[in-house]
Amino acid sequence: MFERFTDEARQVVVRAQEEARHLRADQIEPVHLLLAIAGGDGRGGDTLRAAGIDHGRLRSTVASSTDELDAEALAAFGVDLEQVRAAAEATFGPGALDPPGTSGHLRFADGSKRSLEQALRHVLARRGLARRSRAIDSGCVLVGVLAVEDPVVVRVLRELGADPAALRDEAGHAA
Amino acid sequence: MPTSTTDVTTAAAADDPATGLRAIRALRELADRLEARQVANARSRGWSWQQIAEALGVTRQAAHKKHARSRKDD
Repeated sequence: MFERFTDEARQVVVRAQEEARHLRADQIEPVHLLLAIAGGDGRGGDTLRAAGIDHGRLRSTVASSTDELDAEALAAFGVDLEQVRAAAEATFGPGALDPPGTSGHLRFADGSKRSLEQALRHVLARRGLARRSRAIDSGCVLVGVLAVEDPVVVRVLRELGADPAALRDEAGHAA
Repeated sequence: MPTSTTDVTTAAAADDPATGLRAIRALRELADRLEARQVANARSRGWSWQQIAEALGVTRQAAHKKHARSRKDD
């Protein structure tokens, strides 16, 4: 299906993997696609920036909401995360509490696969357009990501004051 | 959110579901990560899936399904 992707949309897919790795995720989730779109200068990134969402703000919001182990909640049980980490790292080395399988090739989570399918569907639904213009750019990928209503994507967008449904209309119509 | 250890019982049996469930999720995530390390260590020391499963109190199939995917050895 990637033959329909513009170069810029292919870069989004490549960068999504880097975003996932940077956040130590074990799969490429829709939110990593969103981050990759925000980090690019294509139509998808433009739509996000117009809604006040830039890559830096998005990344810090994602990092704090999907981040790591919840030290505060563990403390409520009397579990000191830093003590546990120190003990685990003494035995297994640095990064002992990182999620497993974060090295090597990351797979697309189901939600990301569905996002890309939705991007394709969105383009194919545009009847009457010349075949040439039925390419998938980052704006279409954004439509796809928003179409699957991934809970993390919805939450971080709302935290940044954006309305996911309105954004989706924006990205869908702008083409 | 409770932050001190004096709130242990309030979190474990929290009246507010948001607090209680968040605490459970955090514990489960921590346990999962430690489990992954321990299972990898056991495998590298030659433990069979059967032995690991018995130690964890799960079926051999469950242990294999959960952990073999991320391991090269099986």
